[in-house]
Amino acid sequence: MITAERKPLPEIKESITPYKKVLIVGCGTCVAECASGGEKEVALLASALRMDAKKEGRDVEVHEITLDRQCVYEFIDQLADLVDQYEVVLSLGCGAGVQAVAEVFPKIHVIPALNTTFIAQTKEAGVWIENCRGCGDCRLDQFADVCPITRCAKSLFNGPCGGSKGGYCEVDPETPCAWHLIVTRLEESGRLQKLTPLYPPADWSKKEGKGPRKIVREDQRH
Amino acid sequence: MSGASIGRPFFPRVMTTKQRAPHFAIFFCQQLDPNQDVNRRALEKELGSRIRFFPLPCSGRIEALHLMRALEAGADKVYLVTCPVGACRYREGNIRAKKRVEFAQKLIQEIGLEPERFELVNASLPGPFSVDAMARELINKAGGLAPSPLNVKKPKEAAHNTP
Amino acid sequence: MKPESRLKKVLAAGQFAVTAECGPPKGADPEAIRRKGNLLKGFVDSANVTDNQTGVVRLSSLASCVILREEGLDPVLQMVTRDRNRIALQSDVLGASVLGIRNILCLSGDHQSFGNQPEAKGVFDIDSTQFIRLVRQMRDEGTILGGDKLTLPPELFIGAVENPFADPRSYRARRLEKKVKAGAEFIQTQCIYNLPYFKEWMEQVRDLGVHDRVSILGGVTPLKSVKMAEYMAKNVAGMDIPEEVIDRLKGVPSGEQKKEGLKICIETIQQLREIKGIRGVHIMAIEWEEAVAQIVEGARLLPRPFVQ
Repeated sequence: MITAERKPLPEIKESITPYKKVLIVGCGTCVAECASGGEKEVALLASALRMDAKKEGRDVEVHEITLDRQCVYEFIDQLADLVDQYEVVLSLGCGAGVQAVAEVFPKIHVIPALNTTFIAQTKEAGVWIENCRGCGDCRLDQFADVCPITRCAKSLFNGPCGGSKGGYCEVDPETPCAWHLIVTRLEESGRLQKLTPLYPPADWSKKEGKGPRKIVREDQRH
Repeated sequence: MSGASIGRPFFPRVMTTKQRAPHFAIFFCQQLDPNQDVNRRALEKELGSRIRFFPLPCSGRIEALHLMRALEAGADKVYLVTCPVGACRYREGNIRAKKRVEFAQKLIQEIGLEPERFELVNASLPGPFSVDAMARELINKAGGLAPSPLNVKKPKEAAHNTP
Repeated sequence: MKPESRLKKVLAAGQFAVTAECGPPKGADPEAIRRKGNLLKGFVDSANVTDNQTGVVRLSSLASCVILREEGLDPVLQMVTRDRNRIALQSDVLGASVLGIRNILCLSGDHQSFGNQPEAKGVFDIDSTQFIRLVRQMRDEGTILGGDKLTLPPELFIGAVENPFADPRSYRARRLEKKVKAGAEFIQTQCIYNLPYFKEWMEQVRDLGVHDRVSILGGVTPLKSVKMAEYMAKNVAGMDIPEEVIDRLKGVPSGEQKKEGLKICIETIQQLREIKGIRGVHIMAIEWEEAVAQIVEGARLLPRPFVQ
């Protein structure tokens, strides 16, 4: 999923200071999964902001709603009847959600409350580790299903480097060395020869794009 | 606010530090006191709205949101009483509880409230345990507790101008 | 006079080669690198200049190599892929050749988070092995990536590094083979303190027949003190310093530790000379370039051979 983290409260607070009526909009998909923008987190943030306002003698109304997905118009449209009552929407969606909502309601001030971070798997409850960087050219089977771009700090394609120690990365000793994992997996399954040929330079244009990348599927269009 | 009773002469309003008596919310593991629904009635009668008891099937079921809402609803201090360390019937319930209380404490710290307004208490061995006795002990200990800034009437700030 | 790689000639002549490292200054100071060059001149066949090592900004390796050339040394340009994309790398390879540099050491480089620019974007467009192959392609096929022809190919003796002491250990000899297949012509290893393990690694290397296809120079770094040894053992990834070595330093008074460190270094070189497949030594005495002369002399590697 896409992961995100809630911005520090002082930053969020400052962004909504001018407003008296705030609608906090959460998202029930990725950010709910990583406990940063789902219904619960919306409730927590709302409670904190209300208490903060009360403490300072400020009048602020904070309301809550969570959409199934904040990046899909079909769900964003559910806000249509609501949104006019508010001066501002505090979005707990990822960057995609924030922008989609802003596009649908251009007259409303939409403020992000999360810092969108990376694509991850849930390693264990409460722990998310990046494992994909959306390079647009997936060759995981060449690397024993360990992404060298994402999980090797230097994105080596013919690793490991000289700093791999005890299975961990020299850059962060808590991070497993991707290449140690790749080599070990291939060794154990008798497929080490997969690493014999030089893996050639990557086509980064599939990742960099020419500005924002796009997918168009005519068969999906109305 | 305690104070005026019928027949007292009128005195001009003096600035005193008279504050409202503290309100408490007590979340607790119901495994501690199987008779909690009976045992808590005395205090509930004595203190009325000043005390609210919230039994949980295990302290590990606490959510930060429960604590936040209790504070928002007017508590000055919110306790979570767990089984003694190592004695959780579900093994790590009270360990999980500690993490969640700490999370909630960090959250209120971010808005300038004292983290001590949420307090985790491990019931001590050996039993037996009465939620009434525990609550009284906690309330006594909290004697000098200042009211939560949320429960102190502040003069309304001047209306904000949208920048 | 046409610039040529002295290192290549010494190795081709079957002589035990000596190279050493020069650390450039943290400023636009040509004198600093000139001075270091002159400390090494006559004691080494070629001198490496590091490329913003550990991600700390220093005078560029390319500029430093040009200055060393002016001083009459044969420089080895170290180039990392951390800071330049393929466009810049290929361009700088041409630039180095044009400026008379005849040796290049292709590395990935230390991660940017280690240095004084941790907010920098690490490039890593290509890795060290891909870079080796690229330089080889430019030199021998006269083309760049994608196939466009160069008007004039660069002339460079191509080197790479290997660390026998990094993990996974079982893969290290094969990784060296991969670099050799990609086109590496000489190798400088990470510094050696664990000779027994190094000998084992060399055996694996010889079993693959790699020692015949590439010139391996064993790396050494003189230890200055127990503190330095312990620091390196603990903090530098891929460093293997056995207890016995540290104990040797502990066994002498602190005033004598530098001397003992040099002794250990010289003994290591003497042992390296006995290992089949080792064609030279690479002395990394960072910020202690003065020690190189003593080491080379103490290891009886003087005078450096005359080559045409």
